[in-house]
Amino acid sequence: MERILDKGRLGALVAALADWTVLAPALQDGLWAYRPVAGGEASLTLGHPNTVQPPKGQSFPQREVFFTFDETPDGQPRLTPLVPRPAPRVVFGVRPCDGQGLTHLDQVFGEEAPDAYYQARRGTLAYVGLACNSPPSRHCFCTCVGGSPFGEAGLDVLMIDLSDRYLVRALTPVGEALMTAGQGVLTEAGAQDRAEAQQRRLAALAHPQRAVAAPQAVPERLKAGFGSALWERLAQPCIGCGICTFLCPTCHCFDINDEVASQSPVCGSRVRTWDSCQFPDFTMHTSGHNPRPDLGARLRQRVSHKFQYYFENHGVFQCTGCGRCITACPVGIDIVTVVNQVAAEAAAMQPADS
Amino acid sequence: MEGNSYLPQLARVVDIHEEVPGERAIKTFRLEFIDGDGFSHKCGQCAMLSIFGRGESMISIASSPLVHGYKQFSIMRAGRVTSAFHELAVGALVGIRGPFGNSFPVNDWHGKHLVFIGGGCGLAPIWPVIQTAVTKREDFGDITVFYGGRSPRDIMYRSELEKLRGAAEVYLSVDSPEDGWEEFCGFVPANLMEKEPSPEDAIAITCGPPAMIKFVIKNLHALGFQDEQIYTTVENKMKCGIGKCGRCNLGKDYVCTKGPVYSWADLKELPQEY
Repeated sequence: MERILDKGRLGALVAALADWTVLAPALQDGLWAYRPVAGGEASLTLGHPNTVQPPKGQSFPQREVFFTFDETPDGQPRLTPLVPRPAPRVVFGVRPCDGQGLTHLDQVFGEEAPDAYYQARRGTLAYVGLACNSPPSRHCFCTCVGGSPFGEAGLDVLMIDLSDRYLVRALTPVGEALMTAGQGVLTEAGAQDRAEAQQRRLAALAHPQRAVAAPQAVPERLKAGFGSALWERLAQPCIGCGICTFLCPTCHCFDINDEVASQSPVCGSRVRTWDSCQFPDFTMHTSGHNPRPDLGARLRQRVSHKFQYYFENHGVFQCTGCGRCITACPVGIDIVTVVNQVAAEAAAMQPADS
Repeated sequence: MEGNSYLPQLARVVDIHEEVPGERAIKTFRLEFIDGDGFSHKCGQCAMLSIFGRGESMISIASSPLVHGYKQFSIMRAGRVTSAFHELAVGALVGIRGPFGNSFPVNDWHGKHLVFIGGGCGLAPIWPVIQTAVTKREDFGDITVFYGGRSPRDIMYRSELEKLRGAAEVYLSVDSPEDGWEEFCGFVPANLMEKEPSPEDAIAITCGPPAMIKFVIKNLHALGFQDEQIYTTVENKMKCGIGKCGRCNLGKDYVCTKGPVYSWADLKELPQEY
């Protein structure tokens, strides 16, 4: 299903989606973030480059209570699970790299034993994407990691900016339902609209981006470069702040801890919070032994997980080229540069590789 | 709740046995599920134990899968959760979820000689295999158990080890001898070299401190054991148990789902991040 939405009627479309809570990028304190929008909000535009945080927090919040615990009068522990039952929500303005990121989160939280909390949130979420006519960041590199500025993965609807209007394309049954709910605001798409959208797509794909070199060879080369001294050298300026992982649309590591409100009687919550492989105590054993004891080992873990380990398991990179980790790094560590340098060194040391 | 892997079941501490005293004390806890039979497990699998208000810790299930009605865990006092376990009294209720991980391929070892090499609290993860082997004694060839601790007081499962004699050859050792110690003095890998178990039709299963495992594997190779004949377990820090929280990985594997049991042939291919 393809339809046309006049840009001035975006607020009217939101108003038509009465069965959903709508979130869209809003500029707050100079930062783009997903916020709930009220129906008919006349000022609603999708003018963002990309949001500072990806939409992953909608299905995987930074802090989440698994269950509360307390003691019954006879001293027995009593657990109260808090699996959420959220009302339907739709997130507007999701860039294709972040749609791609959702597919990886869905993979991780859906495989082996599915994560009840993630599934509960994800089950009532819909994502309306916004294609990138030009790279929203100078650090974008989606095309070399299997993505596209017009990519549809993970999204329910894709909107394509045609200057004064959007071409709106349903990609899933949920997307069809959204467009059906908004049909009073949408108009028929014609051949001219489709041709224009195709032109935008070709122009977007032709737009130069930064690139991981020879991506198909990267997993093997990173494996060969596991012992490289480059890891330590490239990680040298790292301050271990973890911002690269906190802003990543695919990073999913977390911690589980008990937050205690009272020791006697015992009362509190078991809580999941985002965690980061860049933190020293992430892997530290109780004995003090740490399998990844230094910055180099931790940079290698972040990069290799995305470009080698996940690829070995799933055949795709766990990096979507959004560039957030590069933009936000306070010391200028650049994942594209790191991959390229380590891979190039490994290639140079393995002439048989060619 | 059905399908919520993070929600523990409740279990009652029905017995506590002090294995090792002192600073690095080890106690064995016998837990019974308060609601039905709980879950069944295989040799080598782990469970996440909770004390509410303190947190969770991943602990090897030390009892045999052939034993029903309870599970045993031998816990060294080390951090926040394990220290809290050491404060418990019989009757306490704790949380348990699992089982997690793969298992020792015990059924593939029928007819083989089994050589167990443990050190410190590393006897616990391989204890279910030892128990299974002596319970189904006719399914296996010779059974040999090497085990060592720092001093005679650090030998865990002392009386159970004595009961193994007859069904198995048991070779104990201590790093620092005391008066009255009549068995081997020295490190476990050295004891292994002195007794020279044959690699012929044999499987070696080792667990203990990382430094011990390193030298055990070196010595097993010297004795002629192939990588495929050597099994060990990896004990990385874990939180979720279901391959999501990310901290226990070795390269592409999450130890909590693909491990903790590895043949050396498989383990040597993974990053040495354990």
